[in-house]
Amino acid sequence: MAYLSTTDFTQDKDFIDKWLYTIRTGEMDLSWMKSATEKISPAEANPRRGLTYRDLNVGTYGYTDIPEKVRNNRSYAPRGAEIPDGVPDAQPWVSRKSELWAFNTESYYEEAVSRQWNATTDIPWDRLDGVELPEVTGKALSQLMTFLTEVEMIATDTPAMWLPRLNPDFIEVRAFIAAQAMDEARHAEVFRKRALTTGWGLMQASPINEMALKHLRDADSFSEMSVALHLVAEGNVLTLFRFSEYLSPTDVDKKIFRLVMQDEARHVGYGMQHFKYVLEHFPEKREVLHAHLDEAENISFAGAAATELTEAFIILAGGGLKKENIDQGIKITTQFNLKQMQEHFERLDKCGMPERRDRSKLFMMYEMGRAAAEAAGIKLN
Amino acid sequence: MAFYADKDYTVDETVLQAAQKVMEGHLGLHWYEAKTERIAGRPSDPKRGLTYQDLNVGTYGYTDIPEDVRTSQSMVSRGSEKVGKLPDMGYVVNRKSDVWSDNVAELYEEVKARRWVPATDIPWTELHTKPLPHDLEMACAQLYTFLQECQIVSMDFPSKWVALINQDFLELKSWMCAQMLDASRLFEVFRKRALFGGAGLGRASATAEQGLKEWLWADQFPQGSVSINLTLAGFLLTLYRQVGAFAPTNVDRKIMRYAMQDGARQTAYGLGQLRYHLKHRPLEANAIEGYLEHTEHALLGLIGSPELLEPMIIICGGGLEKAQVDKGRIATAKFIRLAVREYMERIAAAGLAGHANRSKIPAMIDRISAAA
Amino acid sequence: MAISFPSTEYFEALKAQMAANEEKFRRLGFIDTTFGVSVGVNGKARNFVLEFEVFDLKNVSEVPAIDLKKVDFQIEGDSRVWREMIENIRRNGEADSSHDINTLAHFGERLKIVYDDPDGHDKLYRFMESIQEFFDLSSKLEVSFN
Repeated sequence: MAYLSTTDFTQDKDFIDKWLYTIRTGEMDLSWMKSATEKISPAEANPRRGLTYRDLNVGTYGYTDIPEKVRNNRSYAPRGAEIPDGVPDAQPWVSRKSELWAFNTESYYEEAVSRQWNATTDIPWDRLDGVELPEVTGKALSQLMTFLTEVEMIATDTPAMWLPRLNPDFIEVRAFIAAQAMDEARHAEVFRKRALTTGWGLMQASPINEMALKHLRDADSFSEMSVALHLVAEGNVLTLFRFSEYLSPTDVDKKIFRLVMQDEARHVGYGMQHFKYVLEHFPEKREVLHAHLDEAENISFAGAAATELTEAFIILAGGGLKKENIDQGIKITTQFNLKQMQEHFERLDKCGMPERRDRSKLFMMYEMGRAAAEAAGIKLN
Repeated sequence: MAFYADKDYTVDETVLQAAQKVMEGHLGLHWYEAKTERIAGRPSDPKRGLTYQDLNVGTYGYTDIPEDVRTSQSMVSRGSEKVGKLPDMGYVVNRKSDVWSDNVAELYEEVKARRWVPATDIPWTELHTKPLPHDLEMACAQLYTFLQECQIVSMDFPSKWVALINQDFLELKSWMCAQMLDASRLFEVFRKRALFGGAGLGRASATAEQGLKEWLWADQFPQGSVSINLTLAGFLLTLYRQVGAFAPTNVDRKIMRYAMQDGARQTAYGLGQLRYHLKHRPLEANAIEGYLEHTEHALLGLIGSPELLEPMIIICGGGLEKAQVDKGRIATAKFIRLAVREYMERIAAAGLAGHANRSKIPAMIDRISAAA
Repeated sequence: MAISFPSTEYFEALKAQMAANEEKFRRLGFIDTTFGVSVGVNGKARNFVLEFEVFDLKNVSEVPAIDLKKVDFQIEGDSRVWREMIENIRRNGEADSSHDINTLAHFGERLKIVYDDPDGHDKLYRFMESIQEFFDLSSKLEVSFN
């Protein structure tokens, strides 16, 4: 599987001799000084924001003018550099812009870099001293954290798998994925750390959700991966974070969920923008994406059987295991489940796939669920 | 490649019934008595916060991860209770000594603490208020073009492998995520510097890229790690220090100070990983020696690339006048010798003592740098 | 009153300045390294061990000789070079491009970095920004040279 460069440099006499000559005499070729590359004069649009990728969106260096099909660069040369003969083929699988582009990608990346936080020091762990949650709450919280730490790193592994397959000309998308990888490692970390501070440790794995992770991982294309991961899965998780913040039993947990939801919203933002871009610029993909969503939603159905998560949520929402707690917990969990589905279809609508409602079994279930909830007096805003 | 669930759950009554039962208030609570270790972790040093080292305890810790991880092929968190049928994620790296380094948790915590922001932590406007002479700016732009190529590959290596590595090695995988962001950030700052100075980008380097691809496409993680995390990262560390020492502007000096921090961490992992690998699998020493013998030549393709060499001479000398070029080539010759000497030191420290005597590189470098 | 260099009082004064500027050092991140500073004075050396942890200089001690196995690295140089560096820092508020640690030590011609383990050596670079900012705190001190 290993690649061998076209030259063994220890045997390349011309190469070594030229090098020796340059060091010995100072005579240089300097042909790189005549590179046929563009000279630009960028400026910081906003000095408070500093120098951003958007400021460098100029001419051949910019992302706006990346063509739909990148034909001229398959090497490791940075976009806009002169590409000499003899560079290797980096073997990118994705050289088509509409396969991965999203409006504002560069902004999501810059935001990610400036808003990195540290699970070690930015969470006030010391405020847990002396906090003793009731056993039922502590265990439910640990179970929720166990689920979250289990699933977070799929959003590292999966996009990271694609990163080296993307043509290096797509700098901003690659950068966004690198930032997402770090975001998700941090999420896995903070949830694991919280579980291990509760007094209960980690709880039970979630086999049904593991199946969802496998589906996310094994997508056929970048777009399919992104729709399932950024839009569907992370969209669902963003709603979960918002509800979890609302239900948090301590201010430490509130802080955790506030910080993770910032990151998650960025990922969902990219997912939405990419989905829009694909549908506008690569319309042939629409049916492919419908088919992928069919399976993603099939697995969402399966998620209903992930009772270890649902039950933990009910307990946290209701505050205990007495009948009145469970009743209250079910009410809130119902609102949460419906909200997840509602927002899922809202996102698909907004991105240009309103017809999804008509063909989605999940939407049918949402409508039935909503009607049943309303009949039971549970309102969804 | 696509994965399909084992059934169509939209018509599966058992799933619907299970969900309905819970939503009617009949909680099964099968998870409630999970057979896992009880722990209430706390920071050992409140000033440092709650680190992974603080949670290196019992079944949750990383010290006790066995050499061969046979019992977990899913994303189940280390230490949690496995139940039911779990999918196989297809990990191909399941041996600790293939990826581990004793400093990995420490490096992960350090990278988070020592983050920086290229957009705002570099005083970019100084490049416009105190612009460099044309030749020097061209040289900088060329150097930073070369450095972008190196960072593309530095980003690709961890991203290529991370999903193939067993999830039990959580701290290591987290470190790899940090490496991806470090590489992205370095690429970003090098690109911004090249373009903001006004000279545009220069020329990519065919010789460097050929060598970089050979390293990136190594068959096995330990081999690739030696090349990318030790050889390449160590070389770049010396390069950052060199450019920092001869920096033509305060902006370049600042960039190189941040870069050397990130580069040194990567090198620390590379050295630590090779050390761990050879300590636990001493028989692999021959294989690594053989690998190095075959691929070390790529280092020459990098160092001797005119797209690096010539701008380096100009930057170290301060220009293209004869006296400047003479100063520059002497400084560059010293840099080359230093980079290779430190590389050989790291390889020896990792457990391949005597490698410098077996390698072709030192003699070639001595010959070349003596020419100055 | 001027603080004499080299002396433990000098490094203790830097330590106090570091604590007074905690926010800056916190922002730069953890600094976990122990290194030696060796100042050559008339053919002899005065040796100090500086132990950094988290965001602080935890301990300063003067020792007869530095055991390289007990420190990550050692920065050594003649007192004239150290003096030039400190005076440059005091004049400019921070080391200029010819007088920062990296530049002075790069080829080992003015300051020299010695170490037992290359991994320890690399810690100088892992924490370079913090170490440089630490020495730059000399700008806030009155220093006299013996």
